[in-house]
Amino acid sequence: VFPGVRQAQWLTKTKLVEGLPPPVQAIMDNPALGLQELEERAKHMVSHARLWDTAEVAPRREKYCPVLFENLIHICRLMSGKYPSLSKRMLARNFRIAAMWERESILLQVRGLSGILMNSVTPIAPVASKEEILATKEHVLETFYPIAPTIDLQEVNVYKELNDTGQCFRDGYPYSHPHTLFFLESANVRTDRFRPEQLRAKMLMFAFGNALAKARVLHGNDPKVLEQPVVVQSIATDGQLFQFMVFQLNTTDLVSNDGVKNLVWIDSDQNLYERAQCVPEVKKRVVTKPAGISGFQPDTFKKFLALYLHGTV
Amino acid sequence: LLRPGRRWFSETVLGAPSPPASPLYPPVVASFTAKSKAAKLRRLQRFNQRVHAAATVEEKLRLYGKLQRPKYMVYPQTFALNADRWYRSFTKTVLVPGIPPRAAAAKPSVAATGATPEASKAPEPGAEVPGNAEAPGLAKTPGPGAEAAPYPGIGELRSLACDALLQESFYQNKKRPFLYRDQDHTPGPFLTQLVSTLAAFLSGRNPLLAASSLDLKPEVNYYWHHGEEVVVHGRRKGRVDPVRFQIDDNPHLQIRVPKQLPEVVPLESDLGDVPVIDHKPSKLPLFKKQYENKVFIGSKVADPCCYGHTQFHLLPDRLKRERFIKERLEDQIEVVYRSNGIASLFAWTAAQAMYQGFWSEADVTRPFVSQAVVTDGKYFAFFCYQLNTLALTAETIKNNSRKNICWGTDSKPLYDVVEDGNVKGFNDEVLLQLVHFLLNRPKEL
Repeated sequence: VFPGVRQAQWLTKTKLVEGLPPPVQAIMDNPALGLQELEERAKHMVSHARLWDTAEVAPRREKYCPVLFENLIHICRLMSGKYPSLSKRMLARNFRIAAMWERESILLQVRGLSGILMNSVTPIAPVASKEEILATKEHVLETFYPIAPTIDLQEVNVYKELNDTGQCFRDGYPYSHPHTLFFLESANVRTDRFRPEQLRAKMLMFAFGNALAKARVLHGNDPKVLEQPVVVQSIATDGQLFQFMVFQLNTTDLVSNDGVKNLVWIDSDQNLYERAQCVPEVKKRVVTKPAGISGFQPDTFKKFLALYLHGTV
Repeated sequence: LLRPGRRWFSETVLGAPSPPASPLYPPVVASFTAKSKAAKLRRLQRFNQRVHAAATVEEKLRLYGKLQRPKYMVYPQTFALNADRWYRSFTKTVLVPGIPPRAAAAKPSVAATGATPEASKAPEPGAEVPGNAEAPGLAKTPGPGAEAAPYPGIGELRSLACDALLQESFYQNKKRPFLYRDQDHTPGPFLTQLVSTLAAFLSGRNPLLAASSLDLKPEVNYYWHHGEEVVVHGRRKGRVDPVRFQIDDNPHLQIRVPKQLPEVVPLESDLGDVPVIDHKPSKLPLFKKQYENKVFIGSKVADPCCYGHTQFHLLPDRLKRERFIKERLEDQIEVVYRSNGIASLFAWTAAQAMYQGFWSEADVTRPFVSQAVVTDGKYFAFFCYQLNTLALTAETIKNNSRKNICWGTDSKPLYDVVEDGNVKGFNDEVLLQLVHFLLNRPKEL
């Protein structure tokens, strides 16, 4: 009902920047990566997921969305032949997150099964420079007067304040830095899937939750401005549309509305391909739409790969 | 009689006695539709011609599996006693213990080529560098002595494997496993993590892996005829029918590649005997059902990655070792691994061959090789299969001297126990064998 991202921004004290941050763009434009040959493979992977994977005529979304995701991750992982430090990543499936914070005297909590998380040994370097972080002080958060910002949130009596990703992983886990969160909207029925706007809000909340938990583990529970901002990325897809997000947590001081804000870069509604036709459409004995993938956009795959390689390359 | 207009002298002076351009009468053959053995033969011939003449592979597969009749469902993961002997007789396979020697001879040469990039990039301790220098020397004399050279980079691989194991079993907090679903809780995700990270790590050494396609929980199906039987009851009682089998398999993980693996031994080699079993297949026990005859390798014919590289199978809870030990059937534990390896690999290689247009009347002209790893999370068994013949039907098997060959090992543990964030008793040999399987590739690459 509500533009979800704006509400999520207020709740997490975040400033929105359209498009992906410059370091990620730099990876995309780097010719040494050989992204051209990978385009052919990416096209094959899309065809495999959407057309060839099943003995029936056409796979359903519950099947092709995870398969497409696995295929894309497989191509990205194969880059660790060239960059061996990429193998210091670990995928955790069925990952549960819990984080809690206070925002202008309202206690908020994020909990749940957040999909698939990729962890790495080394953290991602902060994406925004110090000046940009300080500049967010002037940014005023959009309020929704007279609507309370907690509209559409479930009010729940919380008896135990769960607070960390340490709940999910034990101490001493070598891959302790959350790198990227993946969300797969693979429900067959359209009403069971999140709409893009709400999906982006969900991505923002969970990325914030992960970053906050990590920051609390690293720097303690006191609210303060972080010397080393924590960066967490997030990618969501429903098998065709991709949403990319890079979130940088600059401060854990969330009670007040002023001061340094957190930053998020969102690149939304990127189509990987236009149509996937399993059986050629024939009208009046003429083939109007041939079978296959049409309208493949290599840029979307490049962004996926760039976000994967970010932090190591 | 001379009648005006009759020219009976003109036509005969033409050159050679011209044979008629086409025969005056159609060929005299048996009918198609009569209830006779000759008619049955002609119908079979017509079917064979139709399949031979099919334009595309999809059309061929559609005609091959068009007629549906009750068939035996062969399950690769089965608790049946001595199932691997039965499966070998159904698929005309010879079991050779151990892994083919070609893979072992490749080990020192791989170590030699792998030494220079590894030594330059990984922070190797100084003691291993002289070991790398010795490896090229040892490569000239392949044999059991070659195993002595330490494989460079084994430390990194071991740490990757241990990390995957620890993450799944120790570090990640999961809920308790569902009843009888222990395998999905820890060994399943561990296997997925291990294979994906190892394959990605080794793709630098093996360019075939860099072009591979990884499937999670794919479907592999194959349908074939072998032997003959008399129909026991029903409206077709008394007729002689081929015995039909269908394998429907779901490996845990599968790697498909665009180029075929090289042959291990020549096409016509004979490395042993195929067991002959006098009983009906239903005595195994094997049950009949009639449903769609599918031939599928994991993706459709249009996929460029149409050859198989390695499959990974996870044994379910009902085939745990502890269950067999409790029922005092310890010798059947290895049978489970072997039957899984033989049946799954036969189905996969045969389906790959059918995707290339071969079938029982058009036998393969080159051997199809694939590998498999069967595990229950801790114990690993390795199999390598070479398909030399598809001709297993009653008519085609008469003159067929080729046999399919399966090499297999016994199951060995990868580690002893995981305690407090440490993996105790890690077995490097099993990891090395897995790495060699993944590094397998055609000779040109």
